[in-house]
Amino acid sequence: MEQSLEIPITPMLDMAFQLLTFFILTYHPMPSEVQFVMNLMPAAPATDIKAQQPEAAEANPDVPASLKTLPTTLRAGEGGTLGRITLGENEIQGGLEALKRELDVYLTDPTLPFEQTLIKVDPDLKYDALMRVIDIFSKAFSDAKKEPKLAFAELSAEEKAAQ
Amino acid sequence: MSASLSSETKAEPNLTPLLDVVFQLITFFMLVINFSNENYDQRVRLPIAGSAQPTEEGQKGVSEDRLVLNISKQGHLLINGQDLPPHQALEEVRHQATLVRRNLDAAGVKKSNDLPTTIILRADRDTEFSNLYSLITQCQASGFRKFALKAMSE
Repeated sequence: MEQSLEIPITPMLDMAFQLLTFFILTYHPMPSEVQFVMNLMPAAPATDIKAQQPEAAEANPDVPASLKTLPTTLRAGEGGTLGRITLGENEIQGGLEALKRELDVYLTDPTLPFEQTLIKVDPDLKYDALMRVIDIFSKAFSDAKKEPKLAFAELSAEEKAAQ
Repeated sequence: MSASLSSETKAEPNLTPLLDVVFQLITFFMLVINFSNENYDQRVRLPIAGSAQPTEEGQKGVSEDRLVLNISKQGHLLINGQDLPPHQALEEVRHQATLVRRNLDAAGVKKSNDLPTTIILRADRDTEFSNLYSLITQCQASGFRKFALKAMSE
């Protein structure tokens, strides 16, 4: 006489639903994060934007004389938004697109061998605005096939007042 | 002679395929669940950056030893479940650097001013630069050289 053995799987299904509920309630969809990786050295003094002979360059124990630093100044506008941008000695008119165009010129001109940038930032500037500028610099260095080298400094009260 | 008019028919749904699907769902959630979220404080709203690199394990320039600093828009450091105002935040950074040096000494690593730990900086988009800069300079003074500035992808 054949006897069929039926395993009750209803309790197993109940347990499976319990586990599923636990994992659904503890699941948090993580937003995709990106990052700028950089070696942030202490701020170096800015050099003249005109190319100098290495022996004439200001001695700096942190920065080799062969590296040329492109000074950039970011001033805050209303509510900490991005106000005036100064690249070298020139004020950039036209926002971030104009900044990108100027950077492309500076980074690809063989007579202006800039390797790194010193960004002086208004203390009131919001991080969001700074990140958009870093984004532009990253794209510009990438387009010029150079490794982005950035250093940051805070705009002093005297520099901020001299607008 | 009367025939039985009611014959019971039992309907037994087949639960096996349902159990298969449930196990598939469990497997999916088990694979995507991430319990190590405590370092990534959701109170911090990251800025948006288009050209930043995606976060990957073993990425060039990012050491395996990391210190995550979450900075709120008021400039407070959110670390280890604490909300530290700026002056306490600087002290905490010095403390973390001391811990890293102690661990390196215990591991027999050659002493150096520069620490191999990468600082993962997660600052709110409305954080003022002054708050951020004081923290960065304290990190640099403590020996941290590698930084990863976090943002959201576009």
